[in-house]
Amino acid sequence: MPVSGTCPGGDSVGQTRGRIFFFLPALILLAAFVVYPVINTVWLSFQTPEGEFSFLKNYAEILSEPELVDLRGFKRGFPYGALIHNIMWIVIHLPLTVMLGLILAVILRDVKGGAVIKSIIFLGMVTPMVVGGIILRFLFDGSVGILPSFLNLFGITRRTLTAHPDTALFALILGSLWLWTPFSMVLYSAGLETIPEYVYEAAVIDGASPLRIFFLITVPLLRPVTGVVITMTFLWVLKIFDIVYVATMGGPGGASNVLALQMYMYAFRQFNANAAAVVATFLMIVALIVSIPTFRALRGDEA
Amino acid sequence: MRRKILIVFLVALVAICSLPGVAAEKKLTVISGWSGPEMDAFMPVLEAFEKETGIDVDYQIYRAEDLAVLLPAQFDAKTAPADVIFMWAWFIAKHAEDGHVLDMTGYLNEADFIPGALDPVKSGDKLYGGVYTGKVKPGFWYRKSFFEKHGLEAPKTWTEFTALCSKIQRISGIKAAIASGNGVGWPLSDITEHFIASYAGPDITHALIDKKISWQDPVVASVFKDKLVPLLKAGYFSEPIEWTMAADLWWGGEYGLFFMGSWITGMVEDPDDLGVFSLPDCKGIVFAPDYAFAPAYTKYPEEAKRLLAFLSTKGQEIQVTAGGHISTYAKVPLSVYPAVDREVAALLEGVVALPDLDDTIGGEWQPAFWDQLKLLWVSPGRVDEVLETLQRKAE
Repeated sequence: MPVSGTCPGGDSVGQTRGRIFFFLPALILLAAFVVYPVINTVWLSFQTPEGEFSFLKNYAEILSEPELVDLRGFKRGFPYGALIHNIMWIVIHLPLTVMLGLILAVILRDVKGGAVIKSIIFLGMVTPMVVGGIILRFLFDGSVGILPSFLNLFGITRRTLTAHPDTALFALILGSLWLWTPFSMVLYSAGLETIPEYVYEAAVIDGASPLRIFFLITVPLLRPVTGVVITMTFLWVLKIFDIVYVATMGGPGGASNVLALQMYMYAFRQFNANAAAVVATFLMIVALIVSIPTFRALRGDEA
Repeated sequence: MRRKILIVFLVALVAICSLPGVAAEKKLTVISGWSGPEMDAFMPVLEAFEKETGIDVDYQIYRAEDLAVLLPAQFDAKTAPADVIFMWAWFIAKHAEDGHVLDMTGYLNEADFIPGALDPVKSGDKLYGGVYTGKVKPGFWYRKSFFEKHGLEAPKTWTEFTALCSKIQRISGIKAAIASGNGVGWPLSDITEHFIASYAGPDITHALIDKKISWQDPVVASVFKDKLVPLLKAGYFSEPIEWTMAADLWWGGEYGLFFMGSWITGMVEDPDDLGVFSLPDCKGIVFAPDYAFAPAYTKYPEEAKRLLAFLSTKGQEIQVTAGGHISTYAKVPLSVYPAVDREVAALLEGVVALPDLDDTIGGEWQPAFWDQLKLLWVSPGRVDEVLETLQRKAE
């Protein structure tokens, strides 16, 4: 039983009040600007534009639209629909971000001038996404772009990669890798600093090859960092909007459309807040499904 | 003592702020998407209004795409970022229905404007906006010096047009006969609209705007399949290139023709070297005016209406002198236009002036139209799919 004037945690009543006093403003702001909009968005997704409750009807309608899932794509090629495009982003972007970030961090750790090279690579990360999108447009342009010129060296005909349905999405994913990989590289670099040097020294004395050291020491000890990189990259890819909007506007013919852009189209072109709320709620649920277990696993690691 | 000084100071401050001419100083804000040289050409119009009325005007730049995101939320909160806003006509008409736009009825005399110019911002007998100058999308621009050097002539028949494309295509150093400008897709929509107006006719253009005819109708489909697609398949059109870059490449001699609106006259080094022709058999030319409105939430409704009326009338006369603009106000004399704009205006003679198809329809359909045309340009074989999508989006 708590002593009089002491809270169950052992703190004094004054301390608890103080904590509540400082916690309250943040709680009010969170409630007003996060909790209320989230609840309202979910509620909107269950309503018709006339305000009638329709439960899952909106979801059934929106998720069956070809803009979201277009199965004809499997016969004819792009577009496959925004949902499948987002899945393709995840399948391609996520492993490449993890691998490239890790490899760059390991390689540049002991290289002379590695810090300078890392800073240069990090420029992609600090570039505003809208500017990044515009740069991508020129980077992949058939006349002046670096990549088509490079491919031309191998006999591949120059063409604007973002203008063709079969290459637009892949070009954007490649561009996004340039902008996002620095994030994973920096996290892995910080993670590498936490691995004690004596662990490597012991491995070398035991005769372990560099590859075995990498796979049996570096990779396992960086597992918590990998968890963060995977979660953050997943969320980044799920909400990808700006570079798609600026570079291709989801085109050509919807070939690079993504869920966030489709949500924008519903909200600000159709002025259909309910349809936009369906996509927003769907994105939120997927984000929660992925991030909650990851953070739980990370907490378990820390414990 | 200090407290007394503070009280006296605050009372004096309130008194000064209450004086007429300090608190009541009115300043209007105008928003449009014009920046750079376009903004420079617009500023004298606002300065003329300030001089005439003594009301200060502040100018801010917002793209229409950004306003489409910003304004609905602001209107819901019963506020607005400016007193006069240039915006798409369909957007003005839509929000006028919901009571977010000031009624301009009685401030402008319809008879003073070219027929139909105010229609897109009218609802019944009520007028909800002002019309500014317009830009003509007359057809294919070329450099006179380029045509002279290679012995080329503007075509008078469809056969001559395709022969011209073929001839340009064979000139050494030419990448394609026609440079295809791309923004978010709109330059391609201008080309397509010109083909529809020329080979399906103005009535079909109006029917498509009013959704009275299907995009898969044989008449419409034939324009795509018999005229546009063969040119695309022959490679006469370049793949879509960012439009300002396309203009530079065309001017630099990498392409022979460039489809663009009349504002191109203000973008090139030597406007006297510009020539333009419409597609043979052209029956209608897009004449796209800019529209503006005063939001219902302006602090100064009377002054905002006055500014809107000024822009729609006297302002147009000042604007057209800068070039690239054609007045919708009938009282602007032809003598104030630069020579190249008089040539553009001459193309309008004998053909029907048409509204911009995608700007008039607007909504979700507009970006879908742009996007589908980008697909058509690189995959002309998918024309049926493009038409099917356009029809589905129109329904």
